[in-house]
Parts: sequence; C-alpha cells; structure tokens
Amino acid sequence: MTESSLEMQSQSKRSLRWLAFIAMLVIIGVIAGVLITRMQVLAAPEQPIAYSHRVHVEAGLQCLYCHSNALRSDVAGIPSVQLCLGCHGVIATDDPVVQEVAGYWERQEPIPWVRVNVQPDFVYFSHQAHLGTGINCETCHGPVGEMETARPAVRMDMGWCLDCHLQQPEEHVARLADCLACHK
Amino acid sequence: MKRKLTRRDFLQIATGATVITGFAPKLRRIILEPFVQPPEEVLPGEATWYASTCRQCRAGCGIVVRVVNGRAKKIEGNPLHPLNQGKLCARGQAGLQVLYNPDRIKNAVSQTGGRGSRHFEPLYWPDALDILFNKITSLSNPERLAFLGGMMPDHLYRLVVQFLDSLGAPPPVIFDLHSALEGRATALNLSQRFFGVPEFPVYDLSRSEVIFSFGANFLETWMSPVNLSRAYGEMRQGQFGGRGLLVQFEPRLSATAASADEWIPTPPGTEGFVALAIGRIIVEERLGHVGSHRPHAVLYQDVDVREMAAASEVSVEQLRRLARIFADADQAVAIPGGYLTSQKNGSASMLAVQALNLLVAQFGRLGGVFLSQPGPTNALRQTPVSGTQAEGAFSYQPIIDLVDRMERGQVDLLLIHGANPVFELPDATGFSEAIKRVPFVISFNSFVDETAVWSDLILPDHTYLEAWGYQVPAPGANRPLVSGQQPVVQPLYDTKSTADIILTLASRLGGEAAAALPWSDEVAYLQASAGELQGSSLSAYDARTRSGFWALWRQHGGWWSDREVPREPELTEIVTKPLPIVQPQFDGDQENYPFHLYPYSSILLSDGRGANLPWLQETPHPMTTARWETWVELNAETAASLGVADNDVVRVISPYGELEAPVVVYPGIRPDVVAMPVGQGHKDYGRFAQDRGSNPIKLIAPLEEPESGALAWGATRVRLEPTEGRKVLARLENLEGEGRESLR
Repeated sequence: MTESSLEMQSQSKRSLRWLAFIAMLVIIGVIAGVLITRMQVLAAPEQPIAYSHRVHVEAGLQCLYCHSNALRSDVAGIPSVQLCLGCHGVIATDDPVVQEVAGYWERQEPIPWVRVNVQPDFVYFSHQAHLGTGINCETCHGPVGEMETARPAVRMDMGWCLDCHLQQPEEHVARLADCLACHK
Repeated sequence: MKRKLTRRDFLQIATGATVITGFAPKLRRIILEPFVQPPEEVLPGEATWYASTCRQCRAGCGIVVRVVNGRAKKIEGNPLHPLNQGKLCARGQAGLQVLYNPDRIKNAVSQTGGRGSRHFEPLYWPDALDILFNKITSLSNPERLAFLGGMMPDHLYRLVVQFLDSLGAPPPVIFDLHSALEGRATALNLSQRFFGVPEFPVYDLSRSEVIFSFGANFLETWMSPVNLSRAYGEMRQGQFGGRGLLVQFEPRLSATAASADEWIPTPPGTEGFVALAIGRIIVEERLGHVGSHRPHAVLYQDVDVREMAAASEVSVEQLRRLARIFADADQAVAIPGGYLTSQKNGSASMLAVQALNLLVAQFGRLGGVFLSQPGPTNALRQTPVSGTQAEGAFSYQPIIDLVDRMERGQVDLLLIHGANPVFELPDATGFSEAIKRVPFVISFNSFVDETAVWSDLILPDHTYLEAWGYQVPAPGANRPLVSGQQPVVQPLYDTKSTADIILTLASRLGGEAAAALPWSDEVAYLQASAGELQGSSLSAYDARTRSGFWALWRQHGGWWSDREVPREPELTEIVTKPLPIVQPQFDGDQENYPFHLYPYSSILLSDGRGANLPWLQETPHPMTTARWETWVELNAETAASLGVADNDVVRVISPYGELEAPVVVYPGIRPDVVAMPVGQGHKDYGRFAQDRGSNPIKLIAPLEEPESGALAWGATRVRLEPTEGRKVLARLENLEGEGRESLR
C-alpha cells in the first residue's frame, strides 16, 4: 500500500464517522421535531380568558346551549359575548375571570378565542350532517366536560375520519369514502 | 468567486435545517372572534341572502347580497325583480368595493386646516349635528340655503324636498354627469312635448323585430342597461320566428354598435336628419302597412331627402333601404338615445327619431313605445310635492343658476349629497370658484371627492349596502314597481344616515318642519311609505298587517305588480306640426379645431363614480381592452396624418383647456371624431382613483341645448398635437402599463 492510499483510507474512515454522526443528528432532530409537534398539536392553546368547560358542564349546561349552531350549520359556532353575559350578568359577577368577560362586553369587543380543533382549508366538514346522524359531540371532541382548558382529544387527520367512515353500513361506504365527500 | 457545494456542505446544511425545523414546529394559530351581539337570522358559516337595490346608477335594479357571518360577500341580481330579472352588470357586482373601500370616511369630520387643505379631524356626531342645526337656525333668510344632490335615492329626495319646502328654502338642485351623458333632461323634455308628461318612455325591445337606435348605447350605460340587454337578448332569439335586426347610428362604434347588424357612422349632430329623411321617404312612398300616412305628411313637409342625405353622409339609396326595413317590419322601434342630446340640436333630433315610431304606429303596441304605469306607486316617486322639479330635473340650467347664486353671495349654507360638480362640470361653468364664496359647506359624501374637499364638514352617509331606502325606477318596467333598499350588513363605520339627520333636524326645529316630517326615524318613514301600497289589487304579495307587509317588502326587495300593466302614451298636438330642422352648432371653429370631441360614458367607470373601485379599473374596456387610464380613440387615418401610433401621447386642445393622453388607434370611429372615455382624471376620491388619467369633461364648452336646458357635452371641437411622449396602456393582452401596482 502506498502512503497516499493509506491516507485516503483514513480520510474515508473519518468522513464515514462524520456521516454517521450527521445521520444520527438528523434522525434525532426529526424524531424530536415530530414528538414536539405532536405534543403541541394536542396541547391546549392559551386562551384570552381562562374559561373552564368542566365548570360549565358540571353546572348542567349542554354543549348546544353555547355552540348552538352545530345542529343547523357547518360550524358549531363560538358563543357571542352577549350570550356569556346573559348568565354572567347575574351569576358569579364577583369572579375576576367573569369580570374580564364583562369588560369585553362593556367595550363591545369580541373575545379573541384561539381555535382548538382545526381543519385545513381544503377539508369540507359539516357539524350539521354529523349531528344529524346521531353522533355525540364527545365522539370526536373527547371528554370536553372534564377538561379545564379545551384541547383537541384526537388528531383529526384523514385516517381518523376514514376509520369511522369505513365502518358505516355497506350501502353508505362508497359515498362516505369518496374523495369528494370531504374535498369538494 | 465561485465555490462548489461539496457533499459535506450539503449534508451540514440539511442537518442544520432539519434540526432547526424540528425544534421550532410551526402551528397554525387561528383566532375566532365571535359576535359581540349576534345579528338576528345569522347562522355562522351559512349564507343569508338579503334583497336590496343597486345604487351604482339610476336604473334601480334589484339585487340580492350573499352575507356570511355578517359580512357581505357577493352581489347578484334579484331573480324576482321585474326590471333586471336576476341579472346584474359589472358595476353592480363591484358594489362590494364601495362598502369595503379603504378610502371611506369612517366618521364625521371637520376640515380643520381650512377648506381645500385636506386636513380632516374627527368630529363627535352630536357636535356635528349641533353645528348643522345652528347653521340652519342662524340663516338670515331660508332662501340663503342651498341643497345640491347627485344620485340620491328617491326616499331621501322626497324627504329633502319636504324639508326644504317646510323651511321655505329653494328646492334641491340635482345634477350628475351620468344622467347628463345619457341625456335624461332632453328625454324628459321630449316626453313632455310628445306625450304631455315628463316621464321616460319604456321601449319594448324584447318584442321588437327591428330596432333603429340613434346614439343609444343601451347595452352599456343608457338608462337601464341590464333590463335593455336582457330585452335585446330576447329580441335576438326571435320570439316572432326570426332574429331581430338592430341598426345603430352614431359616430363611434360603441359596444352596442358592435353588437348591431349595421353601424352607420353619421357625423355628430346629424342623426336627426337620418330620421327625418327616413320618415319623409316612408310618407312619400307610402311604405309599410299601417294605413294612410296622410295625417303625417305635414310633419315632413319641410324635409328634403337629398339635403338630409348630404348632411348625414348616408346616401339616398341607403336611406330608402333603411326606410323599407323600418316600415315593413311588423314591430319596429326607433330609440332616441343619449348621444343625440349632446348636441345643440338635441331636442330636434330626438323629436325626429320619436316621430318615426308615430309613422309605424308603435305607440302602445307590442314591441313599441310605452310609458310605465305607476299604479299605486305614484306617491313614492321623485316629484311628490310640487311640479317644479319635473321639467328641470337632470338639466344643466338649475346648477348654472346655483353657481350664479353662489357667486353673487346669495348662498350662506350649501349642503351636498352625492354630487361631485367640481369633477363633473366643465371648468368654464365656474363651480369650483363659486363654492369658495359660500361661507359654510357641509357634505354628506362617503368619500373625499373633489367637491367634498371644499366642504367644512363631512357627515358621511352610509354606503348603499348599509342603508335603507327605495327607488322607483325611471324608466320603469312593464308594470308598477318600487325597488326597496335595506341594509345587508351593519354599518362598518361610525357613519349616519342622511335621512335620519334630516328627520332629527326637523324635530329639533319644530314648527312647520316637524309637522311636515313627523316620522321618528328613516325606517318609520319608509314603513309609512311602503304601507301606502298595502292592499293594492295589483300586488305580487299581500299581508293582513302592516308589519307582515313590511316583512314581505324586505324579503322581495320592494313591491311590484304580479302582471304586466301597459300604459299607452297619449299624443299631444305636436304631432300635427312640421318637425323642426335644426343644424348642429359647435364651439371651436373648424379651421383651428378640426375634430369633434366625443367624451363617452364608460361602461365601467360610468361618469367617474366607479373610478375608486379597483375591480372596475382592472376590467378591460370592451372595445379597446385598455384600462387604468384615459385614452384618445383615433381613426387609423387620423392617426397616420398626425404621425402617431398606439400608446403615443397626444395633446388634445379645445378652446377651454387641454390635456394629454395616449392614443388608441381605433378603426370604429369617424376620422373627424376623437373619442375619450369619461371617468378618470380625479384629483381626489381615494387611492385607486386619484392622479390617474385625465378628465375630458374639462375640455368641453359650457353649452346648453336651448329647448331642454341640458348640457350639450358633445358640441365642442378640438385640435390634436403629437408630443414626444409615450405611455404604454395597461391592456388585457399585455403585462405593461401603469395602474396595477396600486393593487399590490
């Protein structure tokens, strides 16, 4: 073996080691990224008002009292500030969080809630259609009544939608699994 | 220096990027803002459609507006409305950009830097109303108050008339350039002379077999273009077993002329001569099949066909052929259009054209000429109090009188609603100077236009998608009709309805004003007006209660009859006198000013009120595909003689001013005519309109048509001078040209 070929060998060994190191870094980075993203996707976003779903559900409120459009519209709707004040004009008026809500009402400003369950723009989804077939809110949204701050219960991706759509009665499956059912 | 990217570099960069991406995941954070107070009837995410009335021109088409989550998204024609039957034009569609325009005045303002400074400061509404109240009460004489209106909705016009009347002030002066360009004043005058009533005739185009249109660009801007375009479509599809025929007489090939079977480019001001010659031939040769022409012979006793042929440059053979076509048709109609009224012999030309309908007995016949039947809507029309307005409406004379009063210091307070005379009138009128002599000016405009700049206060009215009102379309449809207007969204800004301001003023003033205007607010007034129609046997709907009727009124977007109610015009004795032959007269001698200037109303920007809507600016003009500019249309022959080509800038000089604009070489125009679209050349009126193009109205002579008092806007001659300049027009087929950068 000549001197130069020895050198080449050690050089290629060095670059192999480098390559392995870099590959490790990439893999760690990707895994970390995926994990963190997943965690964040399912985490409860920070809201302008510390609203507790648990307290309200335990007090006996139905989902549809506030999200009243779910039966009639594509979107379930976020209650108006007026609706909040409908009760909180008299109930728990000394609570600092309730007073914050009352502040929005006095200024006639909307509360800038952060959306919890998000679908991309290319997905057509209708609450009305799903409620119409008798599906409960909890089926998709999980035990919101037990959550202090609302967070997504499941990752609402296409596989998850299809899991359910494919289990429907045979005569409906073709329609429910059609691309155009959701991607109009 | 060049460095090669090695594999190592690549891997390093890739790793770095992946790690950074992995540790900083980008999540979509979406803010959902609920309503503070939810509007009634609104379901989030679901569209609600509200019926209302388009206010982009005077036609009064019915619209339905798609509203989602309290935001207006799309305007369409109201399918139930008898006038436009579900159709809508580009200007109507662009109405959303009036609502969402970034240059709207968002609250009451006072011009603190002095008039013309364009320095505005917000004003508290109660203070603004106090100022208005004090200005009116401190007038030494109500005669010193003047109200100048533009395209006001009918309900507001009625309120203003009643208000001014109760104060003892002179009636409102109405002027808008669009109406001048379509010749409304002369058309009313014609009806007055022919039928004894100052109303616009309804031409039943859909059932005509042959249409001779004399300068009526009814597919673009004339009178009620959506209604007439629809009728034109039906005429072409041949209800009577054949495709109808359209012949257009005008010096420039408009989009209407381009749709015609035949375009006859007559010299400006000679269209009436063609009609006279055709009439004479029909009478002389006893053409047609409607019986004897003997009673009509007197009309044409002074007409010499050869003279008329020479003046109008249409040969006698051709005139004879046209006369046969017209007289032999089962349903033929001649339309006296807007371009005729632009000449100093406008009334005579209009009369000559309308007389053709008499020869073929088309008054009150299918495919002919009708008047619209007001039915129970009469009380809601524009002329409710006294007959004073009817004849002077839309004409040039009242505004000249107003300028005169202002110049002589006889006006202490000027109120302006929807009018922009500083832009719309020729400079020679002297309006811009006269307004400076008025001590206090209040404008109710939604935008700071050239006239609002000269006001002390601007008390912005709502835009039409936020406002109440109604309009009795004129010309109407084939049945009694009122178009209702209602807010489709909450007002976006702190604006106030002018009708409400007037009602508040009246109740504060007390006395006669309060007695004349007893309504608590605009809606109460409209409910009372609409209620007058309840119980009519013609109604397309009815309800047992007032509130039920009001609900149906809003659902339908107005009130109309469920069936056609024709009204035959009655002829006056004018039809027994020889028709006048009046030679056209022009300002500017032929030697120094060899070309006729034809400032035409643009199908997109109309008279300039559309110039602040980028959708309309960006839409290519149908005949030239140009946009975002003013251009000069020249015949290829004319262009060659001047040595200019497309996009070369020429100077257009009239005895009253000059301007520069790029050339469009246009084969569809007479070599002795120069056409320019009206609409650009704004100095104010928002970011999309101002400092763009030039205003051809500034070139025209302040001439008046003597019979009707209309502005003779087509009777000015100009000369052209080539310049060194070149300005590439933005067109449909190129990516050059200025304008579009303002959208970025």
